[in-house]
Amino acid sequence: MHRAQASDDVFRAIADPTRRAILDRLRAGPANAGALAADFRQSRPAISKHLRVLRQARLVTDRRIGRERVYAVDPLPLQSVAGWIEGYRAFWQASFARLKRNLEGK
Amino acid sequence: MSTIESSRARAVADLTEGRILASVEIAAPPERVFRALTSAEIVDWWERPGVFDTKEWSGDVRVGGRWRASGQVRGQPYALEGEFLEVDPPRKLVHTWQRVGAPGQPTIVTYLLEALEGGTRITLRHEGFVAREQCTGAYIGWETSFERLAALIAGDRANRRASA
Repeated sequence: MHRAQASDDVFRAIADPTRRAILDRLRAGPANAGALAADFRQSRPAISKHLRVLRQARLVTDRRIGRERVYAVDPLPLQSVAGWIEGYRAFWQASFARLKRNLEGK
Repeated sequence: MSTIESSRARAVADLTEGRILASVEIAAPPERVFRALTSAEIVDWWERPGVFDTKEWSGDVRVGGRWRASGQVRGQPYALEGEFLEVDPPRKLVHTWQRVGAPGQPTIVTYLLEALEGGTRITLRHEGFVAREQCTGAYIGWETSFERLAALIAGDRANRRASA
């Protein structure tokens, strides 16, 4: 998969608040779709659709255990988001430090 | 004892919400700080030696007015632009922020200024980084260390292993 496409999928996946909440929930430990549907008070098809988007972005992996499919989070693809945002974080930290020095006359 | 002079600038990234939060305390009154946020004085502080250097800034500081900045980041030219959404001196400033020519929705920068005894606290929120349309702009030049990130991910994985 091309890097740009992979990154596009990740951005699309985390642009939705329910999917971000699902990632947060899975961070606490793996869960199946039924448990997630109960936690989020959404229908199973709705949750399955979100999980499909997350799986496509490779933010979530699934494993079959007996008749259940269990989902777990994989934070690695967030690297493309983090790498981008980190530049801005560093920008503001350095800029504020410089502004402080300038205005305090040091 | 902690003083305004001894405090340090801090910035954190909230990844899943796609925003930056930053703060700094400065031993100068809010009016003075506000001027530095809304004038060509920006070229004196949107700067980090050897990493990025803003050479020019111009802006029409009123709601609906636009600003533009240009300079270099790691030797490559860049240009930014945006629109002022809220101008309430010396308390609040909101403007959009976008790389010139980049597709998609701009991000939004909000500065809040709070008067302290002997100074000002600035709290900044820079948000809107997770909109899908922006991924094309993700390869903006202000990339810095991946080390922090690698450590973060290593930490996540270790936690997962520990809890598995």
